[in-house]
Amino acid sequence: MRFLRAAGREVLGLFVSDWVQSGVIIVILAAAWFAVAKFGAPALVLLVLLLATQLVWFARAEATRSRRQSPS
Amino acid sequence: MYQQAFIFGAAFLGSAVEATEALTIVLAVGLTRGWREPLLGTLLAIVLLGLLVLVFGQLIVTTIPEWALKLLVGTLLLLFGLRWLHKAVLRSAGVVAMHDEERAYQDAVSRLGETVGRRDWVGFVLALKGVFLEGLEVVFIVIAVGGPGHAWTAAIAGGLVAAVVVAVAGVAVRAPLARVPENTLKFAVGILLTSLGTFWAAEGMGASWPGDFLSIFALAGIFLVASQLAVTVIRRPALA
Repeated sequence: MRFLRAAGREVLGLFVSDWVQSGVIIVILAAAWFAVAKFGAPALVLLVLLLATQLVWFARAEATRSRRQSPS
Repeated sequence: MYQQAFIFGAAFLGSAVEATEALTIVLAVGLTRGWREPLLGTLLAIVLLGLLVLVFGQLIVTTIPEWALKLLVGTLLLLFGLRWLHKAVLRSAGVVAMHDEERAYQDAVSRLGETVGRRDWVGFVLALKGVFLEGLEVVFIVIAVGGPGHAWTAAIAGGLVAAVVVAVAGVAVRAPLARVPENTLKFAVGILLTSLGTFWAAEGMGASWPGDFLSIFALAGIFLVASQLAVTVIRRPALA
């Protein structure tokens, strides 16, 4: 049973480490789906830029948080 | 051709990282408690992982419509790839400590005692659990990169070749592969999987990329620039 729980945690952990970041990625994809249906290929540029921006944003936010917690 | 090479590369690099971590566990158990049970545990884990690839791979590809498969797998690959990339960025910027195989090995060894009894169930279970859990990521990578593009052969070959290369290296040095540039590999795999995930998710939404599969290289370039930018921004003195 513990093995199955560990495997379950491992599978979930493959995709989610920060629930907020994962939520933002899903929202970006949902918005892109809508935008692709309405505007076609140009919406892809927006999708890629938003995904790249969230990567920088969340990495910076975690770095700031981590340094505040352990100032040295 | 480009697609097959890209998928082989993504499966190979991703699997090599996980195989290196699994090897550390098997070596720690084998060198401290004897080899028979850990090798049996490893073998059973590999068989179970192979079954997962066959069963889920077939099930997913034959039952889910192609657009839904691309959207689903693309989304999962994006979440998976961005998680690796996020971690690699933080490690490169010095916020999170680098993964140290030598230290992981010493930690595992210190938790293990000498062999006891004729049948060493502890050694068997530790190797089975370690290889199976690390291998789940390999299974996901192989299914995700091989499924939507109908490139099973390239994906499975990439995973298998990586496992064999790491196992041979482990047998040769009989020590954890501490010199494998794990963070650089995670960086590269994060970029490859994020690009592939973006490509397939958008195709699942009904979009067509200019230049078809070649646009993946442009996506990889954009995510590489974004992650380097993230490392630079984090390292800036204002944040220190």
